[in-house]
Amino acid sequence: MLNGWLKKLIGKSDSKGVAKKRLQFTLIYDKLEVSDDILIKLHQDIVDVISRYFEIDKESLKLDIRKSEGRSALVVNTPILSAKRVCPPPKGGV
Amino acid sequence: MAGSALKRCPLEGRVIVITSGKGGVGKTTATASIGAALALEGKQVAVVDMDIGLRNLDVVMGLENRIVFNVVDAAKGKCKIKQAAIKDRRIENLYLIPASQSDNKDILTPEAMVRLCKELRKEFDYILLDCPAGIERGFENSVAPADEAVVICTPEVSSVRDADRVIGLLYARSITPRLIVNRIVPEMVENGDMLSHEDVVEVLSVELLGLVQLDNQVVISTNTGVPLVLQKDSEAGQAFRRIAQRLDGQEDLPIEIPQTQKSFWKKLGIIIGIGK
Ligand SMILES: Nc1ncnc2c1ncn2[C@@H]1O[C@H](COP(=O)(O)OP(=O)(O)OP(=O)(O)O)[C@@H](O)[C@H]1O
Ligand SMILES: [Mg+2]
Repeated sequence: MLNGWLKKLIGKSDSKGVAKKRLQFTLIYDKLEVSDDILIKLHQDIVDVISRYFEIDKESLKLDIRKSEGRSALVVNTPILSAKRVCPPPKGGV
Repeated sequence: MAGSALKRCPLEGRVIVITSGKGGVGKTTATASIGAALALEGKQVAVVDMDIGLRNLDVVMGLENRIVFNVVDAAKGKCKIKQAAIKDRRIENLYLIPASQSDNKDILTPEAMVRLCKELRKEFDYILLDCPAGIERGFENSVAPADEAVVICTPEVSSVRDADRVIGLLYARSITPRLIVNRIVPEMVENGDMLSHEDVVEVLSVELLGLVQLDNQVVISTNTGVPLVLQKDSEAGQAFRRIAQRLDGQEDLPIEIPQTQKSFWKKLGIIIGIGK
């Protein structure tokens, strides 16, 4: 760090510092990428789980991955039609 | 590493894949050089060109006009291993199993390679697989039989990124890879215009196996087909020899950091007492 700062001061270049920052960000972004196959499977699983507790409109459940500066959030949005009255039995091995 | 090593019976050879993701970063150069260096250490070594359809290891080793059978023939049982393995002209105990030039990558399967390597382990101490670029079929074929992996990258953003991807894929197969940083230009590192090996290791968080600098002798060696590790004045050749020794159990052999000419003279000056 100090090295890079010193170099700037005496007019030496620090393109490797730029390279390193870009790399670190790229690798984080790369790892946040989720394939379509996985997203479709996840969508199905979430619908299944929520349906055990709520009557939902399966068609309008939306699944989203929102990214910002090195963080990402999984956002699930679904209208609930009604709650189920009976507690669902524990489900074995999905 | 230790985990996968335990799977083998102690008298059987080690299968090591040399891979990178990105093309042209030095896999073939490294395979030929490490293979030659291990053979010079007295080991029985087979280097296998896994780049089906684009074979290169044969010319790098100067064995291109001795090819009769190839890895596809051996994997499919069309010939015996002894027939496909070409003996090196200069180095004792070193053998090349070339790729086939006419076939398509899909002709080999991971299962066939596992079977072939099972046979090779009985005959050789080391089996080095020169993996093709990319992460498709050729990669799968090369990684399936491997106990260990050496990942090669250069100190550039695109190469390090691809190395990261490949390292992830290797971990997913329970292989803990070790890293070689190739084509280092010490002057550029010193000037802040090239990622240092510390930067690369920090970003990839992987164990370092060795450092190789950019060296004109590499091209000269491929021109002539004379092994790089036999050239005493080649920095890269000597670096590959140390890498081979580390691979071969001399784990405490220090990793030498490529130096600029200037810092070399500075050091020499200090040693002989004329340094400022
Ligand atoms: N340390 C080095 N110094 C100078 N040149 C090098 C060095 N390492 C590799 N090269 C050169 O870089 C080029 C690519 O090397 P090589 O063929 O070994 O890469 P590769 O990863 O096997 O490529 P591919 O992905 O196409 O199989 C070659 O021309 C080689 O001579
Ligand atoms: Mg190659």
